[in-house]
Amino acid sequence: MSGVRQVVGMTGDEAVAHAAKLVNPDVVAAYPITPQTIIAERYSDFVNNGEVDTSFISVESEHSAMSACVGASLTGARVFTATASAGLALMYEILYVASGMRCPIVLAVANRAFSAPINIHGECTDQLVCRDASWVSLFGESAQEAYDETILSFKIAEHPDVMLPAMFGIEGFIVTHALERVETLSKQQVDDFIPASRIVRDRFCPDENKTFGSLVLQDYYMEIKRQQEEAMQNAYKVTEDAMQEFSELSGRKMEITEKYQLEDADYAFVSYGATAGNAKAVVDRLRAKGEKVGALKIRLFRPFPSMDMFQALSGIKAATILDRSATFGSPGTIVQTDIASALYGKENVPSLHGYINGLGGRVLTLPEIEEVYEMSKEYNNIGINSTTDWVGYRK
Amino acid sequence: MAIVLPKVSVKDLQEWSKLGEVFTSGHRLCAGCGAGTMARQVTLAAKVLGDPMMIVNATGCLEVASTVYPYTAWDVPWLHNAFENAAATASGAIEAMKSMQRKGLMRERNVNMIVFGGDGGTYDIGLQSLSGAIERGHDFLYVCYNNGAYMNCLSLDTHIMTKDGLKRVTDIQLGELVYAFDQNTNDLVLKECSGIFDNGIKEVYELKTLHHSIKTTINHPFLTVQRSRKNYENKLIWKTLEKLKPGDEIIVLKDMNDGKRYSFKEIKISKKGDYKVHKINEIKLPEESNPDLMEFLGLYVGDGWTRPHKAETGFSFPENSEARSRLVFLSKKLFDLEPSTAHQNDVYLYSVNLARFVDSLDFGKGAKNKIIPSWVFTLPYEEKEAFVKGLMQSDGYSIGKSNRYVSASYELLKTLRLLLQTINYRVGKIHQQTKKKGTFVVYRQLLEDSTYGYVCFSKKKKPNINKYLSQAKQRDFLADNEYFSSEKIVSIEFIKEEPTIDLRVEDEHNFIADGIVVHNTGIQRSSGTPQGAATTTTPPGTVIPGKIEWQKPLAEIMAAHDIPTFTASPAYPRDLMAKVQAALKHDGPAFMLVDSPCNLGQRYAPDMSMEIAKLAVKTCFFPLFYTYKEDWVLTGISSRLAKNPDRKLPIEDYLKPQGRFRHLFKPEWKKKLIEIQDTVDEKWERLVTKATCV
Repeated sequence: MSGVRQVVGMTGDEAVAHAAKLVNPDVVAAYPITPQTIIAERYSDFVNNGEVDTSFISVESEHSAMSACVGASLTGARVFTATASAGLALMYEILYVASGMRCPIVLAVANRAFSAPINIHGECTDQLVCRDASWVSLFGESAQEAYDETILSFKIAEHPDVMLPAMFGIEGFIVTHALERVETLSKQQVDDFIPASRIVRDRFCPDENKTFGSLVLQDYYMEIKRQQEEAMQNAYKVTEDAMQEFSELSGRKMEITEKYQLEDADYAFVSYGATAGNAKAVVDRLRAKGEKVGALKIRLFRPFPSMDMFQALSGIKAATILDRSATFGSPGTIVQTDIASALYGKENVPSLHGYINGLGGRVLTLPEIEEVYEMSKEYNNIGINSTTDWVGYRK
Repeated sequence: MAIVLPKVSVKDLQEWSKLGEVFTSGHRLCAGCGAGTMARQVTLAAKVLGDPMMIVNATGCLEVASTVYPYTAWDVPWLHNAFENAAATASGAIEAMKSMQRKGLMRERNVNMIVFGGDGGTYDIGLQSLSGAIERGHDFLYVCYNNGAYMNCLSLDTHIMTKDGLKRVTDIQLGELVYAFDQNTNDLVLKECSGIFDNGIKEVYELKTLHHSIKTTINHPFLTVQRSRKNYENKLIWKTLEKLKPGDEIIVLKDMNDGKRYSFKEIKISKKGDYKVHKINEIKLPEESNPDLMEFLGLYVGDGWTRPHKAETGFSFPENSEARSRLVFLSKKLFDLEPSTAHQNDVYLYSVNLARFVDSLDFGKGAKNKIIPSWVFTLPYEEKEAFVKGLMQSDGYSIGKSNRYVSASYELLKTLRLLLQTINYRVGKIHQQTKKKGTFVVYRQLLEDSTYGYVCFSKKKKPNINKYLSQAKQRDFLADNEYFSSEKIVSIEFIKEEPTIDLRVEDEHNFIADGIVVHNTGIQRSSGTPQGAATTTTPPGTVIPGKIEWQKPLAEIMAAHDIPTFTASPAYPRDLMAKVQAALKHDGPAFMLVDSPCNLGQRYAPDMSMEIAKLAVKTCFFPLFYTYKEDWVLTGISSRLAKNPDRKLPIEDYLKPQGRFRHLFKPEWKKKLIEIQDTVDEKWERLVTKATCV
């Protein structure tokens, strides 16, 4: 599209702030929390330097941040916020209000481990546990993807068939604070991609005597919740189309799942976020040794791309799922259980081996990933088709 | 800019009331609720200003009761988000409008944003959100309507067994003695009711045993029998309704034979020589209940009426009926009065004093509204039996040992059923049917299509427990118990959503509802609850009399943010509305604390709300004032009280009419009352010292 690609060095957080600046939302309500802080700080710079005409609400908590976003969104505004870990947990109550009242709010999550023990580093549990809150949920691998998904999220959330809030996550410090090459878009490109007009809906505004947030009892509650599910199902197609359009706009291929060397593979890695980069590097190393292995990256976590999972993994012998999130007493890692549900009862599907790793920012090195790969192969060879392990910790 | 209160005259109110309601009728707030009155006054005052208003409402009574989907009582833009975030939500809406106006996406105009929150949503969980929004300077008026607790399980038509007989759960007073089951001795004991709680609208289920039924919420605990292995003692344990299933045994009341004769209240007696009284049928009126009188009253409840202005007590007993001859016999014996039996179907007793006497006994008027009043439940066994005998002669019939009583009054059947359960009768459920005009029902032809009900009952035979105790216990675990027995649950069914209420009972924590032993449950304190008040989380104990702490000084906390802060009362609408207008005209946040009486939580009659609100002001418990920066100004009555201190009422005048403070009037808490008066005086003095008067 644009003749010359502009390339700048940015951290993941800066990429989010710069992308949000191009969207120029009407209201941003945010409360600082490491490792999201830079997003809030950069954006306040833009506001105070007059680079955007957003109302920035410096709220006194994340709970109030999401509450103000709901108030602003229902008034008809385009709304953006960002948080992490404990902040997202504090918002949790209002996440359901936002989706239940169909507020297309966009939320950037700097994925960070939950306390206790307190830890400020990368881990995706915070976002994964919001999976049932009826929010569209995306993950990004790099600063570039953070930049792209910021813009993309508005497109998905505000689509009339969706009208649901959307969150996207990048891992704390690993992506949020790492300086990377980012290809940027022009203001004109973003304006072409995201409609200038605000969504058409019932609004909480002086001209309309309407009641929002009423008490809904047994007689109607379920119908309203069912409409949310239908919107969530629509979100898949809307995301697919939006990604297609974005690919054309930016010249960078963007898909709901990214397949790397999977065509002829017998074995596969499945991952999301920053771990996907490591998985691809390991694929290269293993391919050099003659292993027939590929990698699958999940970008859209909700709605879960079940069909994509089946298509990408069918014919694979064993899938190694690298999950940077903690779950306790569960039958598998969070993403593993979703994949298992998606593949259940289908023919020609791989054995699934989930590995909880990298909690609290712990690094899972490439040799360790190779080891994990060998473990999966071993399980598969002896006929065990589902395992879940913790890896990369002192035994 | 200093605050200037506009003058609001009564004439202004008359004019404004023609503008139409913003908070419209059809909402579901309780009768007597102060919040509804407050909401109408605030919104009307805002409407007068002309600019459009928008309302954000925190979760609470006002929100829940006004917007049950798909209906709304609000004729303005209205938004509810959650409990603790109304102020932050208003922040978002205000900033969204500013931003969109800046970008040309919304028409520019002044909007009056009003936020409503209750005391729980403001004093406690929402304080941070409110303080944050005020610090950011968001231009809204936050109105906190303080009803003094988190007001939130029995159905309202449940009957409770008390020392003074059977009472509807809604008529139970704090401090009243109710019957309970002593879990150590399995005895019937009297315990004090120390709390009454309106639990709001809940899902109500009906639990039925062979002889009992009760409507209750799913989480209400019942005393059940846990059968043990052979040679081990069976145990009694509490289980909530959700854990019960048909076949489980629950504990019910079977007998209360320790009644005593009832002494009648004094009534006005006319006698010859009184003004305009020249002739009167002198009769002797009984002072205490006795079996003959109870049989007479049984006949009366069955088929009698009174018309005191005609000096008439009438009975519709046809000629040659057993009931008629019994009535004639009884009236001669009891009152020395010869009935008029000339009419074919009716019998009349002419005595103004008798009619008044019968009227004073609370049996209810009209065939469909008859009821067995609570005092009948306190009578000795033979008097209750005689009463049932009278009833049976009028509208009952027997087949073998089984009796059937027919009545058009559902309440009468319900109370009869409970009465029979106190004298060890086996009672079936209440059947209801509709019969066409002309059908014969209990010796009489129906004059029109009628719906009526009946219950069947029979005397229980006492098992020979001396000989067959273990067998009897197998059937009824409490077979050898004088007062209670165990009965198997037959069914548990969802009925509908309806208002519920619950009691707290000292020591035993249980009481007898509709003849079944049930556990009491837990209006929780908020930091807006007054000192000494009883709530479910601050019960009036023997050591601690209700809530220990004084209310959080919310108005002062808000005033410390350097914003205009007002206090107001719906009992003084001109003062309240003037303050709303001053607050909305102010540029920036403003806060108003409204004393919003709640008849259910504070325990007083629904028509007393404005009276209670006035007393809060007149006792200086809730002074009316406003403050902004260094200005403190007393308004209305409070200003007058500051000028005339001797017109200030003692705090007891405010506390006494409210059930939640009743325990403070026991002799042992006299000290507490003095303490509360001292604190009120001290706070009032401090306010008067720094405030000016208008």
